[in-house]
Amino acid sequence: MSATSASSPSGPATIDVSATSRVPFGRLVSVEWRKMTDTRAGFWLMLVTGLLLLAAIGITELVVQLNDLAIGFNGWVQVMVTPLTLLLPVFPIIAVTSEWGQRTGLVTFTLEPHRLRVVLAKLVAVVIFAVAIIAVSMGLAVLANVVNASFSGYDTLWNLEAHQLVWIIVQLLAYFLMAFGLALVTLSSPGGIAFFYVVALLLPVVVYSILMALLSWAPDVIPYFDMNYSMTPYQAATGDPTLLVLDKNPVAVVTSVLLWVVAPFVLGLRRVLRSEPK
Amino acid sequence: MITVESLTKTYGAYTAVDDVTFEAQPGRVTGFLGPNGAGKTTTMRMMVGLTPPTSGRALIGGHAYKDIPNPGRHVGVLLDASAQHAGRSGREVLALGAKVMGLPSSRVDEMLALVSLTDSEAKRKIRNYSLGMRQRLGIAHALLGDPQVLILDEPANGLDPAGIRWMRGLLKGFADRGGTVLLSSHLLHEVEIIADEMVVIGQGRIVARGDRESLTRSGQAATHVTSEDNERLAAALRAGGAHVEPAGTGLRADVEPVVVGRAALEAGVVLTDLRAATVNLEDLFLQLTSDTQRETPATETGASA
Repeated sequence: MSATSASSPSGPATIDVSATSRVPFGRLVSVEWRKMTDTRAGFWLMLVTGLLLLAAIGITELVVQLNDLAIGFNGWVQVMVTPLTLLLPVFPIIAVTSEWGQRTGLVTFTLEPHRLRVVLAKLVAVVIFAVAIIAVSMGLAVLANVVNASFSGYDTLWNLEAHQLVWIIVQLLAYFLMAFGLALVTLSSPGGIAFFYVVALLLPVVVYSILMALLSWAPDVIPYFDMNYSMTPYQAATGDPTLLVLDKNPVAVVTSVLLWVVAPFVLGLRRVLRSEPK
Repeated sequence: MITVESLTKTYGAYTAVDDVTFEAQPGRVTGFLGPNGAGKTTTMRMMVGLTPPTSGRALIGGHAYKDIPNPGRHVGVLLDASAQHAGRSGREVLALGAKVMGLPSSRVDEMLALVSLTDSEAKRKIRNYSLGMRQRLGIAHALLGDPQVLILDEPANGLDPAGIRWMRGLLKGFADRGGTVLLSSHLLHEVEIIADEMVVIGQGRIVARGDRESLTRSGQAATHVTSEDNERLAAALRAGGAHVEPAGTGLRADVEPVVVGRAALEAGVVLTDLRAATVNLEDLFLQLTSDTQRETPATETGASA
């Protein structure tokens, strides 16, 4: 025992903590990283994500070869984006909610009572993970584009402008962070995942698209509260028909991000700091 | 040591913990005793900052828990042995704890050996653990950082009698090295075996505290005595002004044992047994917490089982 230089025969009444430093933030991040990967659920989720990315490439390659198409780098990136949008957000949700669902928060928040540090460590760990997966996916897209062109005998087609690629990645990360915030708000895996898919998929694909077609004022309003519609114009190439309907509106980007990334994070953080992990 | 000062927690109109004050001394094992729902767990959760108190405070070694840097190195905590990811192995749980605290991985093996979890058990997923194995793992986790203070909620729950005896030795050794131990239980016989001091809580309030002797010593002096001639001894005692009644094979007198001994000497009666009468701890516990038991005292055996 390090601090029992006894003052009374039975032991000291106070603990000397001056020689102990607090847990370094980097260590918290690496522990959170390990907790994402050391359970069977985490392992399978990673495996399935990897397989889906490969399957997407494989199926597309088949279709492209059979139909003798040249989809270019833009096409390959789009192929990667769909499985990423679907599966990537599950990681931050599970990383956050398992502390409540599996009740590990009891130990986590006892070993590091400053919960904000734990939440930020989780955020850093899952963002590192997201950036790594996105980088790997983009690498696969580059590879597929080069390989496909050499197979088909076309010139390699680099039909994606740098700003488009940047906005595609920004949008992926924005939805990823939204998932993290919704997990903090719900503190429940099914709740967080359901909430995420409603906001990220159901509303834009089913509801907003119909409104956009039916109501003339919808394209002016919906981007303010939907990240999909606010960021799409920035991902479009010059002369893309999308731009005839949707304008590049930086204010809409800011409001939609405030609504779905910043607000859930702030509300969720308050909830985590006040909750009593049982 | 642990100092709890006027700790109170209310949820709306319900008071879970009501003005609780006590100390757990270094070098001693303090038992925190009370029926289910008496406020033991809530009090312990407030000590380690998982639940914010409505008023009052708890200090560990003179510090609020959240002000202790790397708290696992100073305070070992086990609140619920089942609150672990079912998909992790026991070894992995300890490895994660050791990593947070900045301990070498050899510490994990030491702790597994200490709580007698074998290599193959440690590799199993926690979902396949018995409650007793989870408790051993939880105790290993609490001891990982070589702390000076242990806070254990119902640690003996699920342990067999041999396991309880093992834990007594472990905690005794920890206290003898100057450590402070606070452990809770709703089972008196567990705490009786392990603890030096007891704090009894019922309905959120402390109803009694002290060591076993001071808790069980009845208010009035009383003696159980058996002799070769109980009648003559009883007469001698009555002559001395004592109230005597038969009890079992002997007598019960409302005087100190020394008075009985002297009376026997003077009367020339051979004593075969002489001891101070104590209140049965079990009875005392039920009586102290009777207002707060979920069962009525009529179902005494059920409540104490």
